[in-house]
Amino acid sequence: MAISSLTLPAPIRQRLSVAPRDFYRRDHAVELFEQGDALGGAIEALRYLLPGMEIGDLMSPLRLVQGTARVYVSVADDILTVRAHLAALGDPPSTAALRFFLTRISGTGQLYQPRLRGDQVVLEFSDRLSLVHPLKLIELMQRIAMEADNHDQWLIDAFGVTTPDREPLTALSDEEFERAWTIWQAHWEAVDALMVESRRRRIIRFLDALGAFAVNQVRYTLPLFGSIRQRLNDAADDFTDRDEDPSKRDAALSKCIKEMRAIGREELRANLGHARYAISPLHEGTPSLLTSMLGAGSRMQATSDLRAAGRALEASLELVADFLYLLAHHTWSAPIEQSLRQALDAVSDKPWREAADTLWSHANQIARTYGSHGEGEDDVDEAPGAEHAVTYQKAMNRGQGNEGPASPGSRRPSRERTPVMWRLSVAASPAIGAHL
Amino acid sequence: MNLIDIAHDDIESLGVYQVYTGGGTGTGFLIDAEHLLTNCHVVAPYRQVAVEMRDKTRIKGTVKRLHPYRDLAIVRLSRPVDGALMAISENDELRPKQSVHILGFPVGLPLSLTEGVISHPKQLLDEQYFVQTDAAINPGNSGGPILNDRREIIAVTTCKLNQADAVGFGIPAVDVRKFVADFRAQGADFGVQCPACEELITRKTRYCPNCGTDLQSRHDFDDYFEASDDHPLVQFVEGALRQADIDPVLARHGNHNWSFHVGSAPIKIWCCCSEHLNFSSPMAQTPTRDLTRLFQFLLSEDHAPIAFDLTGSTIRMNLVVHTADVFTESERNVLAARVAHFIRKADSTDDLLIQQYGCQPAPETQTAFLKGEHG
Repeated sequence: MAISSLTLPAPIRQRLSVAPRDFYRRDHAVELFEQGDALGGAIEALRYLLPGMEIGDLMSPLRLVQGTARVYVSVADDILTVRAHLAALGDPPSTAALRFFLTRISGTGQLYQPRLRGDQVVLEFSDRLSLVHPLKLIELMQRIAMEADNHDQWLIDAFGVTTPDREPLTALSDEEFERAWTIWQAHWEAVDALMVESRRRRIIRFLDALGAFAVNQVRYTLPLFGSIRQRLNDAADDFTDRDEDPSKRDAALSKCIKEMRAIGREELRANLGHARYAISPLHEGTPSLLTSMLGAGSRMQATSDLRAAGRALEASLELVADFLYLLAHHTWSAPIEQSLRQALDAVSDKPWREAADTLWSHANQIARTYGSHGEGEDDVDEAPGAEHAVTYQKAMNRGQGNEGPASPGSRRPSRERTPVMWRLSVAASPAIGAHL
Repeated sequence: MNLIDIAHDDIESLGVYQVYTGGGTGTGFLIDAEHLLTNCHVVAPYRQVAVEMRDKTRIKGTVKRLHPYRDLAIVRLSRPVDGALMAISENDELRPKQSVHILGFPVGLPLSLTEGVISHPKQLLDEQYFVQTDAAINPGNSGGPILNDRREIIAVTTCKLNQADAVGFGIPAVDVRKFVADFRAQGADFGVQCPACEELITRKTRYCPNCGTDLQSRHDFDDYFEASDDHPLVQFVEGALRQADIDPVLARHGNHNWSFHVGSAPIKIWCCCSEHLNFSSPMAQTPTRDLTRLFQFLLSEDHAPIAFDLTGSTIRMNLVVHTADVFTESERNVLAARVAHFIRKADSTDDLLIQQYGCQPAPETQTAFLKGEHG
């Protein structure tokens, strides 16, 4: 039977309590560094990055917890070291694990690298204090913490390594797990049913929305870790990739649905848990993002056209995917988060047409109330949200958040309309460009 | 002989070379053994450029003449080269549908030949005449020769219309001949031709001494006579290259990009974002056996701050410098020494990987410089 509504449950994932950062501290850190007090600058930069945490003098290591990762910062002999243990390889070491670290974690464009210390693989950065500019330290801490958190239990499952220095997760209560199991089953059943609709319609835009819904509802509602998270992220890399052939994306999503529906209760239980984060793993939501996703523009116009054409399923799926994306990947002030959540509550288990109309009016209301109203609004009319979803996911999975070619802007069509003379020298040859 | 019948080796023997600056790359062709003609926009505002020979070695070239309005330039090479000269056609009677053959380095690829016809022999654009062609031309073709069936140069590739298909333009041979003839007749070491009256201007001046044209407002003439300040990142990288005995002019590969070989090892330097300067050497390829020992070596903590990674089967040796450090003046020398160490180490490490770990040379390795049995 065709699916007639979506269930949009409240999250089991705990809300991140993010203390606001004091930008003065960051500026002060730079001042201290430029005055020659590199240690003072580093401590102040950490105070900015980790508000509320006791930083100390760094002579005894500072330990912070990021999901399942423990990240250590210390200073000895004027050398600042940031370190996070990934795995112990054992004897003999796994060749596949070594290859994985060399291909997926080592790389250009990042300050930390995996290093082999005995049989331990450690994400590490170490340099003279005078070469640790506060802004560099802030960037390094954010990236290394996120990278270390991404490689958790799944390394054990995939390569048979051990992970001796990891932070344990807090198990879900029985009640929480029962809810999680219900959410999991209902979600993938709904995605499976929508997959049938996608194949019937053969519309790429529908596939875009379905892929975003499939992955973001899980990310938003469930505190998922380990191999299941890794498998889902890997699959999402393929089925949300708008540059990929639609038939391949379709096949990747279909395969993912089968895999996820085959996961049993205990396997899911082993991959769920509550974690603490010293550094928010989510982006800070901004008014301009709300405007670009939910405000007037070509994106919402296209959704409006779907509603006007009676294509309520497509319209509501797109809107649901957008709301889930905003909640799954960003932190918001309590009133905005509440508004976004209320919209989903209002349409959960409601027929498509009602859901589309309700979400549409909520979107308008939220954009009007909390969106940006200044300059630059004209520049956000090209569906950045979906692009963000893909790009952010790739950055999260691959640890390449700062690589130039992945920027959302790179896919934007040229706005030049009049023919102009083009000089024919090359800014950089593809031989170089391929490594960017 | 018809050019389309020329064998590949014959194209390779022609005196057409890739020109590199800190702004980009383009094409140039020999007008004699020591002089190359290209576009002004390929070389300006640089006074020194690199010219890559067929064996991938680069030689230095010094810009001698610029004609910003007609978009032509002449570069004197640091030594004579033996590429085959092509005559500049004396016959200015071109006709529509006449075959043309374009040589160049499109999008930085190796020397390529594209073909088409003359769409319009005397197209007026921007108060100048151009030879219009439908042959495929792309960024990197700039400054390359447009040839007729007798392998004579009938125009020099310069530009195309954006957002239009197959509308490319060449500077007609008549203008090229005049530019070259003027150069040979003039004694000045360096000069820029006035865009209005073609008077040769040899020193910085606001107004053309002959016709009074305001030079600065039309073509940024100051830049041709007075080098503007390099970006601090460029200053840092090129200073570090000098410390490693690498000539930065020969290493330039476009904006904030450098590439060169040190011994056998290829080195690439680029700025991928606002935060990182990347130094990388794709130096070897993995063997099929005994990989664990190799991978353990590559991941060893002993290499820090240098690191290795794998892209496919290619082993790269990498160093990352944060741009914030480049602006910390007191540490520049330390960083430059680190870069110099990286460059020197690349040359020895590829040998080590090949000899001790059974690796194969990477595609870009200059195997003639490898030590041991592969050398």
